[in-house]
Amino acid sequence: MLVAALRDLQWRRRRVLIAIVGTGLVFGMTLLMTGVSRGFDAEASATVRDLGAERWIVREGAAGPFLGASPMSQDEATYLAALPGIEAAGPLVFTRKSVNTPKGGEVDVNIMGSTAGRPGMPAADEGRPPTKAGEVMVSSRLEGYRVGDTLTVAGTSLLVVGRVTDSTALAGTPNVFVDLADAQRIGFAGLPVVSSVAVVGEPSVMPEGFQPSSNAAARADLLRAIAKAKSSLTMISVLLWLVAASIIGAVVYLSALERQRDFAVFKATGVATRSILAGMVLQAAVLAVVAALLGSIIGSLIGPRFPMIVSLELRAHLTLPLVAVGIGVLSSAAGLRRIATIDPALAFGGP
Amino acid sequence: MGDLVVDDLTIQYSSNGYAVRPIEHLDLHAPAGSLVLLLGPSGCGKTSLLSCLGGILRPRSGTIHFGDLEVTSLRGEALTAYRRATVGIVFQAFNLVPSLSARENVVVPLRAAGWSRRDARSRADALLAQVGLADRAAHLPGDLSGGQQQRVAVARALALDPPLLIADEPTAHLDYVQVEEVLKVLRTLAAGDRVVVVATHDQRLLPLADQVVELVPAVSMSEREPEQVRLRAGEVLFSQGAWGELIYVVERGEIEIVVERDDGSEELRAVVPAGEYFGEFGPLFGMPRSATARARSAATVTGYSTRDFRERVQTADALAVPARSRRRVSAKA
Repeated sequence: MLVAALRDLQWRRRRVLIAIVGTGLVFGMTLLMTGVSRGFDAEASATVRDLGAERWIVREGAAGPFLGASPMSQDEATYLAALPGIEAAGPLVFTRKSVNTPKGGEVDVNIMGSTAGRPGMPAADEGRPPTKAGEVMVSSRLEGYRVGDTLTVAGTSLLVVGRVTDSTALAGTPNVFVDLADAQRIGFAGLPVVSSVAVVGEPSVMPEGFQPSSNAAARADLLRAIAKAKSSLTMISVLLWLVAASIIGAVVYLSALERQRDFAVFKATGVATRSILAGMVLQAAVLAVVAALLGSIIGSLIGPRFPMIVSLELRAHLTLPLVAVGIGVLSSAAGLRRIATIDPALAFGGP
Repeated sequence: MGDLVVDDLTIQYSSNGYAVRPIEHLDLHAPAGSLVLLLGPSGCGKTSLLSCLGGILRPRSGTIHFGDLEVTSLRGEALTAYRRATVGIVFQAFNLVPSLSARENVVVPLRAAGWSRRDARSRADALLAQVGLADRAAHLPGDLSGGQQQRVAVARALALDPPLLIADEPTAHLDYVQVEEVLKVLRTLAAGDRVVVVATHDQRLLPLADQVVELVPAVSMSEREPEQVRLRAGEVLFSQGAWGELIYVVERGEIEIVVERDDGSEELRAVVPAGEYFGEFGPLFGMPRSATARARSAATVTGYSTRDFRERVQTADALAVPARSRRRVSAKA
């Protein structure tokens, strides 16, 4: 019966092709949604990792070293950086601003101010990190800025001295790294305050009014702001899975409806119902797998052109066909139930 | 395998909630090696009987034995195995799967029976050669003529060399040249241990048969005198599914027309008072009675032959009943 199922797919190739293209597009979109959602996690992890801290010191009650930070004075930061057990430390200022793009218009950036050579300042992939006021290292995702260009932020002109590949946070917003003093000028009108202290080593004591914060908490701090966007993407993904399931289910159900006489003949000639059902499951599986492959190709082609980081690992491409087959088989349940109840007497045109 | 023996078979199925009994108390004995024709018009129960023989429809009562096997007692897997190994079916509309080639259509029952792909293909090719279609094995049904499709259907039915071959109106969609091709094949197959049962209304098949079973009783169209019947209250004049040749006019009392539902209950369709008539559909259109007629009170009715009835309706004055009696009642008994 498996051959009969495959032949039927050939027989209805036009409809099958349309279903595959439709389902493939939906699978591709689902893959991209999943990739974008994972990209949020990936960029947050990469940003925290690149800052080179093992942990953070923040004001007590603060939700994290970035968006959730409660400012502390620079003197306090200097005191904290010298706590016993700390091997290296650097104060960090985090703020968000808009910058003009060379093509016109504005784009939001995450400003991170720190001190070169200390935790809180990532290494450059091109050029070097800023070592003094008036210099900036930008993410390669900030389009139009190369080493040697001038970037103006909140009235402060900065010379681009380095670039970091794909450094973004908060749903694809490019990170730019400046000297601590510039960050204080841009974010806090020059006041000597910092957001947190990036630390390597483990302080043996913690002064009252401050608390340590882990890198996991730092990642969560970046992700919290986009939690709703992330859950929205998850909901859209679920809806897309349902759309894909509906397409496959509709094709299988229509096939079951149109082939009732065929199935009745099969049953009347002694073919076991389970063999017929296996054929229909095979149809759904083939449809789902081919659509999943198409979806993978679509995702791979469109993903790199997305404005946000799309994290599509090999695992996602391998998982898609498996999930697709599961969805295909489940969605074909209505068609299978229909087949199971077909009376072989129908082969005679009814009793 | 043996003889095919049908004993006191009654078939009933539901049609829109009503019980339909196309076959009642049928007996049949078909010796091995014979070709049996089930003859009758549409709706007389030929296909229903074939379905029962093929283990597809369960009869309401009675038994079917094929050799030592009691077909009517089979259930589940045993029934599937019977359909697969013992019965070959040639359907009226060929019923070939359009997406499968002629060879693949024949391969289906072989693969279902567990044959290897190679053996099934080889057997299918041999069968197609046997029915003269060796060069058409790779063609789709849509590329074959009606006669060729029917021969593929015969080859499929013979795939597992079944001892019982049943064919439903095998000549229904064929021209006379194609009919000859199929008849030759069917006649040849009714040999040895094999029993071939063919349902048809095609009189051309009569010379082929070893036995003809007419599923419609011969109804006399000869002139006969009007027949007066006196009924006690509750007495049945005729039953649903029975064959009859008279149309009745109520002279005295009332007749109730009831239809049997598929759950065994009755539905009152009409009460026919004195002066009105009923029961014309069966005799006029050659069908069994579609309802039961029963005296609601002590009644007297007169039965007329269809010819007599027509004449009397056309010359209404000659009918010795009031004019309102020429109005047909709503029930089409």
